[in-house]
Amino acid sequence: MKILFILLATLFADANEQYAAGNYAEAAAGYSQLVAEQPSAEAYYNLGNAYFKMGELSQSILAYERCLRLAPTNKDARYNLQFAESRITDNIADNRAFFLSSFVQSMRDRLAEATWLWCSLLAFVLCLVSALLFLLSNETAIRKTGFSVAVITLVVAVFSICAAYSLHQRDTLREEAIITQGVVNAKASPDKSGTELFTLHEGTKVRITETLGEWCNVSVGNYQGWILLNNLERI
Amino acid sequence: MKKYLFILLCSLIFLPYAFADEVVFRAQAPGKVIAGRPFQLTYTINQRARDLQAPDFNGFEYLAGPYTSQSSSTSFVNGRRTSSFSLTYTFTLMGTDPGDFTIGPASITSDGNKYTSNCVRITVLPPDEEPQPAGQSGQSASNRSAGSSSSSAQSGARGGDIFVRAIATKTNVYEQEALQLSYRLYVAGVDFAQMGNTIRLPECTGFMKQELELGERQFELEHYNGRNYQAVTLVSYLLYPQHAGDIKIDAAQFEAILREQTHRQSRSIFDDFFGTYENVSRMLNAPALTIHVKSLPANKPAGYSGGVGQFTLTPSISTTDIQANEAVTLKLDIQGSGNMKLLKTPAVDWPEGFEPYDPKVTTNYKTSASGYSGTKTIEYLAIPRAAGQYTIPSVQFSYFDIPSGQYKTLSTPEYTLNVRRAPGQTGNEDANAQTYTQVNKENIKELGSDIRYITTVEPNTKNADAPHTCLTPKRVLLIDLILLILSLVIYFLYRKFRQENADITKVRYRRANKVAQKRLKTAQQLLNGDSQPFYAEIEKAAFSYLSDRLSIPTADLTKDNISDLLRQKEVSEELIQQVNNVLSTAEFARYAPTTGAEKQALYDATANIINQLENQKI
Repeated sequence: MKILFILLATLFADANEQYAAGNYAEAAAGYSQLVAEQPSAEAYYNLGNAYFKMGELSQSILAYERCLRLAPTNKDARYNLQFAESRITDNIADNRAFFLSSFVQSMRDRLAEATWLWCSLLAFVLCLVSALLFLLSNETAIRKTGFSVAVITLVVAVFSICAAYSLHQRDTLREEAIITQGVVNAKASPDKSGTELFTLHEGTKVRITETLGEWCNVSVGNYQGWILLNNLERI
Repeated sequence: MKKYLFILLCSLIFLPYAFADEVVFRAQAPGKVIAGRPFQLTYTINQRARDLQAPDFNGFEYLAGPYTSQSSSTSFVNGRRTSSFSLTYTFTLMGTDPGDFTIGPASITSDGNKYTSNCVRITVLPPDEEPQPAGQSGQSASNRSAGSSSSSAQSGARGGDIFVRAIATKTNVYEQEALQLSYRLYVAGVDFAQMGNTIRLPECTGFMKQELELGERQFELEHYNGRNYQAVTLVSYLLYPQHAGDIKIDAAQFEAILREQTHRQSRSIFDDFFGTYENVSRMLNAPALTIHVKSLPANKPAGYSGGVGQFTLTPSISTTDIQANEAVTLKLDIQGSGNMKLLKTPAVDWPEGFEPYDPKVTTNYKTSASGYSGTKTIEYLAIPRAAGQYTIPSVQFSYFDIPSGQYKTLSTPEYTLNVRRAPGQTGNEDANAQTYTQVNKENIKELGSDIRYITTVEPNTKNADAPHTCLTPKRVLLIDLILLILSLVIYFLYRKFRQENADITKVRYRRANKVAQKRLKTAQQLLNGDSQPFYAEIEKAAFSYLSDRLSIPTADLTKDNISDLLRQKEVSEELIQQVNNVLSTAEFARYAPTTGAEKQALYDATANIINQLENQKI
């Protein structure tokens, strides 16, 4: 275990040197090997950088997304992901159905599942304590404070648990995917002769709602259509 | 096999023409002869030679020969000397039976080398059916000039024959199927001089017409209706019917000029010797024709190209592995015969992300009796703009196949194209940057911005997946539920406890006055008795009343906290003083003997403060 750890550390250092020297392809190969051995946020972040420098936009977005799955608070990864997303052709912001949903989603993605769970647990305990204070106290001031704290902490607890559940679902179902093909036409049916509905470009994030053979039904904002599974990669 | 051998031989023989000094040994004979008429077969060599080995004249009657003749010439052109020499052997032969015959090669020796001639193909036509006058064929040529008039008369008996035939290769065709229409002049027994200037050709409405190049016109023998004619094609067209139905081709008119011998009264000696001739114009009518044009079957396939004929399709693609922004060419070679000019260019459905250009069409065909034949090459050029795996769908080419009378569809295979990312398109200036400007997102003009640098903090693998194992949303919900139940239990227990508590104090509160009055009544009865129980009863009445009213256990009651509690309840300071007086008097008098009047005063004071407190509703 220790030997493996040292080995991985040297692999990481070597890849960093390659990156610094501008050999992005070699660096990317090193990071890929690293994440295959032991996935880590740092390795994914560096892998994303190497792919971005190579011009592999979709692969870099994939790596940043995976990095943020492991470390949602990594500001550099978030910045670089946004930077890479500004380079893709499809305007995702316009495709989101409702601004509040995107706001909620970005809030959700800011913390890890475990953090949300702890947060929820803490908020619930606070909620119960303040609710008891509200119910049992004779003092008007304590009752007032207890009531408002209880309501706020209940909202926080419910939001946190929902966020955690949503993240849990995201990580177990792996519905989100990135388009890896340069240009893809989504069809109305899982069939090559199906009517072409809309065009997606490399790097766009989609949600897989259904798979059928080598086809999958994806949804992007208000659009929904079938594309081939090998045109995208799950995050 | 024989045919190939013949072609090989011919090519071997004709090859020497390319070189001036090569030995050329050639056989020559008319292509068509009439049975029973003698003809000449010559062998020519351009070198001195000997030992001619003539082949077997199978199918022919050998009449005379070989007669040898030779000629030589020398010329100086611009100081260069050119000399030519030729040696000719002539055989006279005669065909006996109609049919196609081949005379094999002859061989000759020159300068010790042996040379072989080409083969000669001769078609022997049957003789004229009309019984010839006996002995005419047997008569020698010397007889001819004298009998010329009579022979013309003889042919005149049959009608000195000159006419034009309209010949269509087919009269039953499909729409757009090519047919050849030719006008052919037949001459027999008359002296034909030339064609006149008046020619009326049909319009050929309903057809697309194209004149065929005929090359050098030469009369050749043709057996028609039992008679041998000298025939020549005057004009020839390629016709493409444009609609179905019976289409009539009008009659054509040609002017022919014949030479006829004149029979003038005064004959000079030269006239008599040479004869006199004059040109006579004769209009020749070629009959009208009707072509039956069948319409094409109705079940036209989707990608019908408009082609009628026989075609093959050879597709090719320049490459299947290219870089973005480089051109890829899909080439279709359509080969065959038919109405190639009218073929529509099939459409190629390029995948998204390809920039197609107009196809380049090169044609290489010649006209023949069956229409155009040759190749039509269509080159489709497209430039992929984004990297990825693309499939170029199959290209369909449909045409109407005449021999089978059906539509046929030729298709190219599906090509899978691997488009690599163009070199140099790294970082900010990758392929997507171009499309980036196309979608007009340019308002985010980032000058000199770049991604943030890699992290050099070594990956800590422990923090990654450790929290996942202990906490899941379900477990947290379970903990929440347990906590909720726990707090509910706490709440209810506490409430119950409080309720019980509240009930006792309430009851005692309500019953305080009654109890106090009862105690006072007992005290009243004791007023005249012992002072000890009286005082005890008075004290009890006051204390228990205050204890019940203030909800404080009697044990906790002291004079001090009674005043404090009463003050909190906003009882007037005067009353508090009275309460204190009563309590201290009762306490004091309990252990010291007192008079009856004092007892009465304390009783009144106690009843008074209880009344007052009752009125204040503490």
